[in-house]
Amino acid sequence: MNKQEFLSLLAQELSGLPGKDVTDRLAFYDEMIDDRIEEGLSEEDAVDEMGPVDEVAAQILEEIPLSRLVRERVRPKRRLRAWEILLLILGSPLWLSLLLAAGAVLLAVYVVIWALVGCLWAVAVAVFVSSLGCLAAGGLFLLRHEVPRGLAALGAGLALVGLSIFLFFLCRAASRGVVALTRAFKSLFVRKEAAA
Amino acid sequence: MDIQLKRGLLDVCVLAAIRSEDSYGYQIIKDMKPYIDMSESTLYTILKRLEAAGMLTVRAAEHGGRLRKYYHITKAGLDRLEEFREDWAELMSIYRFVTREERDHE
Repeated sequence: MNKQEFLSLLAQELSGLPGKDVTDRLAFYDEMIDDRIEEGLSEEDAVDEMGPVDEVAAQILEEIPLSRLVRERVRPKRRLRAWEILLLILGSPLWLSLLLAAGAVLLAVYVVIWALVGCLWAVAVAVFVSSLGCLAAGGLFLLRHEVPRGLAALGAGLALVGLSIFLFFLCRAASRGVVALTRAFKSLFVRKEAAA
Repeated sequence: MDIQLKRGLLDVCVLAAIRSEDSYGYQIIKDMKPYIDMSESTLYTILKRLEAAGMLTVRAAEHGGRLRKYYHITKAGLDRLEEFREDWAELMSIYRFVTREERDHE
């Protein structure tokens, strides 16, 4: 491979980077190869000493801070052409309403999921409150020497306490599940943006 | 050598390579070769970083019908080298600590 081939291949591999960065890098490798040739190496050997193009490119990308790469990637590569803008505007009554509808449906589904979780919590709280009521009633019955009723109420109260503890863990798991789902959904979009 | 340890040393090595006189990319790599191996892309990154930190300046000079970039150390760069000397004393005491038990066993 000669120097020009090496440099144009490298330029291709680095095409995602900002223009100034690429020309700087290429000039650097250009000088490095020329200096080796000047020392008596053949052009081929001098280029060989740089290593394979894909490895060189990989190493360069590795050394550039990720934040800068992401910034470069997110920046739009080209502007919209006039007819594309016209089409976007003319089609807006159609695509905008469809997009809004889709967004509304997604939002509704999300709200329903949370509502279900909310219901679970409400049930858990209700069971817990009624368990307190049963325990209190049981205590009252015992004070009034109505032992069978008192024991029955206390037993029911204890059973409800157990049930409410069980429900609490169930609710917590459900809430965490929905939060995890939200995160997964969000990262789906964030990742898409970074890869675009 | 451990990659993290090496990374910290490379900056100082490049500064040392241009301390006595201005030098250019390939010459720096050649001067360092007996001591520490460095790829072109690494050198480029370090030179950019040192330039941004004001530890060296760059000038392009004509050489054999083409332009070659020469790197010149600044006061800040010399200060960094001096700092490295002081760091070294600390490093040596860490080294003694790390190898203490080995020596005790001998």
